[in-house]
Amino acid sequence: MSVDMNMFQGFLQQIKGLADMAQATDFSDEERVSRAKAVFAAKLDTPKAVDMESCVHCGLCAEACHFYVTTEDARYTPIHKLDLLKRFYRREKGAFGWFYRMTTPDITAQELEQWQELVYDSCTECGRCGIVCPMGIDIASMVNVMRQGLAEAGLIPAELRAVMQEQGGRGTVFGAGPDMLKALVEEIRAEGLDVPLDKEKADILVLSSTLDIQLYKDVLRSTVKVMNQLGVNWTIHTCAFEGANFGMLSGYEQVQKMASERITQEAIKCGAKTVIVPECGHAYPAMRWEGANEHGGPLPFEVLAVSEFLGREIGSGRLQVKALSGDKVVTYHDPCKVGRHGGVLDEPRTVLKALGVDLREMDSHGTMNYCCGGGAGVFLINRASELRQKVFELKSQQVDDTGAGALVTSCGSCRINFMGAAAKANWQKPIHSLMELVGENLA
Amino acid sequence: MSVSEFVEGPLWYFSVAVFVVGVLWRLLVMLSRGYQKNYSEPRASAIAGAIGTNITRFVPHKQFMPRIKLTVYAGYLFHVGLFALLIFAAPHMEFLRDHVVGFEWVVMPHWLFLITAEMAFIGLLILWLHRIMHPVTRMITTKGDHLASILTFIVMLTGCLALARSYESLRILHLFSCELLLIYFPFSMLMHTFTVFFSRGYMGAHFGRRGVNI
Repeated sequence: MSVDMNMFQGFLQQIKGLADMAQATDFSDEERVSRAKAVFAAKLDTPKAVDMESCVHCGLCAEACHFYVTTEDARYTPIHKLDLLKRFYRREKGAFGWFYRMTTPDITAQELEQWQELVYDSCTECGRCGIVCPMGIDIASMVNVMRQGLAEAGLIPAELRAVMQEQGGRGTVFGAGPDMLKALVEEIRAEGLDVPLDKEKADILVLSSTLDIQLYKDVLRSTVKVMNQLGVNWTIHTCAFEGANFGMLSGYEQVQKMASERITQEAIKCGAKTVIVPECGHAYPAMRWEGANEHGGPLPFEVLAVSEFLGREIGSGRLQVKALSGDKVVTYHDPCKVGRHGGVLDEPRTVLKALGVDLREMDSHGTMNYCCGGGAGVFLINRASELRQKVFELKSQQVDDTGAGALVTSCGSCRINFMGAAAKANWQKPIHSLMELVGENLA
Repeated sequence: MSVSEFVEGPLWYFSVAVFVVGVLWRLLVMLSRGYQKNYSEPRASAIAGAIGTNITRFVPHKQFMPRIKLTVYAGYLFHVGLFALLIFAAPHMEFLRDHVVGFEWVVMPHWLFLITAEMAFIGLLILWLHRIMHPVTRMITTKGDHLASILTFIVMLTGCLALARSYESLRILHLFSCELLLIYFPFSMLMHTFTVFFSRGYMGAHFGRRGVNI
């Protein structure tokens, strides 16, 4: 279970240079405002309108937010991040718009630019704020609406914009295209493993991600071992393997739809009954919860997070694993989009139990889990690095408090974010992938 | 027409009309925005989630308590005290019996009235001080929030002054302050009295269909 540290450093360097690769989006101030407002108007349906009307300004959401808790900076109060959206709703869609149009100013392009930091750099849409809110306001979903508005107004941070533009244009993420996947498949085949690449018909379509293809190659290697061990009819496709969806992360819906539809169409074409999403937090909601909506109807296949799939197969006895050797005292980090937002909480623990580990839960775990600090694309935004580091201090302290010797997670983005911050903090505990642990301990 | 006749007559009916029409209008506009289609396969029941969250959200998760206990305890002191006074104070029961519902119910003894009134005052004052003093609440609080707090305080204060029922003018002052609150209600964050059930419900439904127990 090794990560090529040169490759890892190269990846971090690549992230540092991302902003230079972004194409500019030139809109006038008026265009920016009208484009953002058009998105806000379209997205504010009844549940969101209710949320707009319900805040009592108690400030409890701040006490659940990792960015506020670690900085005590009031600007990071989650509900404050929705101020522009609330003002838009009251002026233009609310019950007393005539009054608010007389007494409050319209939103401006300068304000949209100011809010970029609040809805991108300092919000990972982890949803912990919604769990504490006594009114039950789903703040994370509305931060996503803010992102969609800013994206339409051409105000996505340069790093995210660069990757979104790459995925929307060439269809690759960090340059990982069919050739790179084929090269890794050949590498795995050379080890004697069968990889059914581009099968015309298969029951299971397995997805991967740029991180697994370039950095965490053992994750894909382990996936191959598991699928072969199960003896199922599976495939991975060169034209639809990328689970990461930078349209969703950046808020740019056209690319979100394009990326998820590419997978949906390929799954339908090959007759897949199941699509397995890789260890990539946001890739799960992109397909499991939003894939059907982008498709415009129910999907003719089930979508499973790989940790969910592993838990199901191990729980049913179809997949056998042996106990881990070495340090068995570990803790598990629930990726927010898979756990709190996705409901996949028990399955990874089923896997860890089967691996015979001594699982020490963090003080905040499961639905209460703190984000890694880099979710929703924040791990790519260079100016947010100090904020992420502060969250890591909180997170690493929670890990240390458990007495665990290692951290396990099932998300490549969480993992790279932890690894980057750990390197800066000289924090030495290993950070494992759940899939890798399974792949290396098949019975 | 005397001041007391005006307060008990036209102003009372006007304030109730503004309250009813305003609340219904605000709810109607909010609830008629429509719904986005959700084609994803649910993992569990959205309805169960909506009902469950409406109940469970009364008690914050213990994880959060160390950081939020002041607001939670003060919030409960205020809300429990206020509702007890509103429904179980003898003058209120008599007013509601005579003007609204037509039947009566058990009321609080005087000593319990005093305790609940003190609870409500302490809760409201703590919440208000927190609004003014904490950097987060100070930043997100609006002028309207302060106005709602001040009106509520005045209603409670005049209510206590009128408790002995010795002076008719104090009762009229209390009724007048209630009418001001009723008129302001639909335009303010006091609307959370009604929206709370919807916002909790929609969040519960969202997480419920995903099989997440929040």
